[in-house]
Amino acid sequence: MAELDDIIHQPLRLRIMAALTALPDGQGLDFTRLKKLTGATDGNLGAHIETLAKTGYVAVTKAFVGKKPQTTVTATAAGRGAFARHVATLREIIAGSEG
Amino acid sequence: MTIDRREAAVALADIDNVVRRVRQSRVYRIASLMLMLWGPLTAIGYVVSWAWPRYAGYGWIAIDLIGVAGSYAISVRSRTGDGPHRFDGRMFAALVLFFGFGLLWSVGIAHFTPRQLGAFWPIYFMLVYTIAGLWLGIAFVAIGLGITALTLVGYFFTGPWFELWMAVVNGGGLLLGGFWMRRN
Repeated sequence: MAELDDIIHQPLRLRIMAALTALPDGQGLDFTRLKKLTGATDGNLGAHIETLAKTGYVAVTKAFVGKKPQTTVTATAAGRGAFARHVATLREIIAGSEG
Repeated sequence: MTIDRREAAVALADIDNVVRRVRQSRVYRIASLMLMLWGPLTAIGYVVSWAWPRYAGYGWIAIDLIGVAGSYAISVRSRTGDGPHRFDGRMFAALVLFFGFGLLWSVGIAHFTPRQLGAFWPIYFMLVYTIAGLWLGIAFVAIGLGITALTLVGYFFTGPWFELWMAVVNGGGLLLGGFWMRRN
């Protein structure tokens, strides 16, 4: 059985990756929307995004929309792959216990 | 790292919940843009019907064409990939069936009066909207039922001000519904 990914398994990071990988390739979510969808707070969302970015699972881009700064987070190909493997492992755990 | 079956099930349920919310958020986003397009168009249509009733038919044809073209543009620009809101062949067929059925009964068979037409189309449109909302999200149901109720109030109680009433409650209702969906 494959190993669970320690970085992704943390509950909020799991939700962040679930939200980002639910989008088509190359599309991201802005910080505010991601916060709302994952039920996170400003502080902990920023810290967990940083962890995921350091691992190369997400890419963070900052731009100005009008006069407002906007941070957009996008799942990378490595992040999508890691998340897919993590989900497969979770399913294996459930299937293994049932068998 | 090792976890048991229960923890794995909780994690998967958490993932499913977030994915469902993301998909609903994307549906709301594109629907909100369409409502904000159709709201002002509908309001203009009713004002034209009230001010120049002889040209109401041409006005509504023009508005429908602009609305469908705009909806198509919004859909293409949203780059949504797969999903129920992609403007593809099935969506086009749905529009043809929708307008075909409505025209068949309102004009071809029943010969509705202008006032009846003014009430029929928004209620018919909102019926589809409400039914779709049973799968897509409660905001669709709330907007559909709200505008249907206000349309009926206008049809029975507003006398000669019906078109202006509809410009406000239908056009304005769609626009406000669009803003509300965008916030959600």
